[in-house]
Amino acid sequence: MVAFRKVFIVPHHQKTVMASGYIVSRGVLTFGIHYQHVCRNVLLTHTREKKRWMKAYTLLMERKLKIEGPPPPKPRAQKPNWDYHAEVQAFSSRLKECFSPELLKTAFVNPCYIQSEQERRQALGVDSEMAALVLGDNIQLHRQGLEFTKSFLSDWCRASFPRLPSMGVVAIVAHLTSHPVVCLVARNLAIEDLTMSAQFPVPDEVLHSTFLAVIGALQASSGAERAGLFLRDFLVTQLVGKDLFEMWSVVNPMGLLVEELSKRNMALPEPRLTRSAGAGTVLPLYFVGLYSDKKLLAEAPGETVLAAEEEAARVALRKLYGYTENRRPCDFSAVEQPQAPGLQSFSSS
Amino acid sequence: MTSRGTPSRFLQSVLQNGVGRYVCQMKRISLIFSKNGQSSLGAREFIEEGVVDFAQKNPGTVVYVSPQSCRIPKIVAEYLNGNVKEEAITSKTSQQIAELITKLTNQSGLDIIRIRKPIHTDSPSIQGQWHPFTNRPLSIGPIGPQKQQAN
Repeated sequence: MVAFRKVFIVPHHQKTVMASGYIVSRGVLTFGIHYQHVCRNVLLTHTREKKRWMKAYTLLMERKLKIEGPPPPKPRAQKPNWDYHAEVQAFSSRLKECFSPELLKTAFVNPCYIQSEQERRQALGVDSEMAALVLGDNIQLHRQGLEFTKSFLSDWCRASFPRLPSMGVVAIVAHLTSHPVVCLVARNLAIEDLTMSAQFPVPDEVLHSTFLAVIGALQASSGAERAGLFLRDFLVTQLVGKDLFEMWSVVNPMGLLVEELSKRNMALPEPRLTRSAGAGTVLPLYFVGLYSDKKLLAEAPGETVLAAEEEAARVALRKLYGYTENRRPCDFSAVEQPQAPGLQSFSSS
Repeated sequence: MTSRGTPSRFLQSVLQNGVGRYVCQMKRISLIFSKNGQSSLGAREFIEEGVVDFAQKNPGTVVYVSPQSCRIPKIVAEYLNGNVKEEAITSKTSQQIAELITKLTNQSGLDIIRIRKPIHTDSPSIQGQWHPFTNRPLSIGPIGPQKQQAN
């Protein structure tokens, strides 16, 4: 009979995470004393007493960690306890959406993954006919998803902010479909775990295209309405707390304001200094008000008169476009679902 | 330890959860227990009676059950924001383990550290934040106490 110390480093053993300092070994049980072959010339004796080698070993491993740095991150699929099909099913039930399983699995497969798999098979010398890689790409779904996302977001923006000009709508849509925002959403929806890509950690580009492919798959499985609700609940909510000019960089707000006012046949804005404090000090404060036909449009503070005037122009634009901080919040209320969520094709239970 | 010595965060949610639809933040739960160990008795009972109901009630969470030879039975919960929480269930009863699992399901994955304020708002002011110039007559000159108007 052989006695084992806990085996940990070899990944195919389904053992606990977060152990410290266990050694891969073969053990030997003899009469009362347990020996352990660490390697051919080193024999460890298991006793209950104080392990005098433990401190030296831990310090050595810590020094090694300091020199080499932490180990590279591993994808979740290569850690213990992973079942791809169950994860994909849970993904669709968690989001309360009906995905078609084939489309969803195709959406997660990226072309770089297929390429790297082909190369790996060739390198291993596996005949390409024997083990053919039957996996579809997500390029088509990605294109559909991107198109649908852009059109849905533009429509939503125009409906919620009717007074916003098309440049503003384009800027907001570009912000919402930009890499940082989409990758943040994808990472917090566990899409990164399910993505099949050549590199890990998954690069932003790949994650972005995977997310849009998932949207494409949702649109193809459940229809445009459900996909639109999904986008509203996950992408549009990223607008909460964001200011218009954080997303839309306007270089000359005063010029834009003049254009807007002339379009609406209102008098041109006249800036007037309304309040000032500390003019001769290190921190001066000037309030500039913009008046159109002797009626106040907006008032804003600034350190210099020019800065205050620019800020006042921005405040006036926000009021004109209806994108102020105290506007009525957008409607994210739930829509009645006619069918129960889950994958469309059910296996047993 | 003091509040400055320990980490703290503001009240927040992961990805504005709840503004749109509510998504259960726990994506994976692994029950690690031993087949013959006294400390895993509660875990084994929970697996016999409660774990299937739990898995059916939470279809968005994947439940893994892995019997291993271990001294300390554990529950490892993984959340959507990437945090992993481990709880030891040594010598807990099945009821206690069920309550613990419910607690873990209802958590978002954010760290359990001091929350600086029990409130959060994205629109702190509706009528405009007060500043010392609010409701004062416009004046460019030096600012002094307002003259009381004789009624």
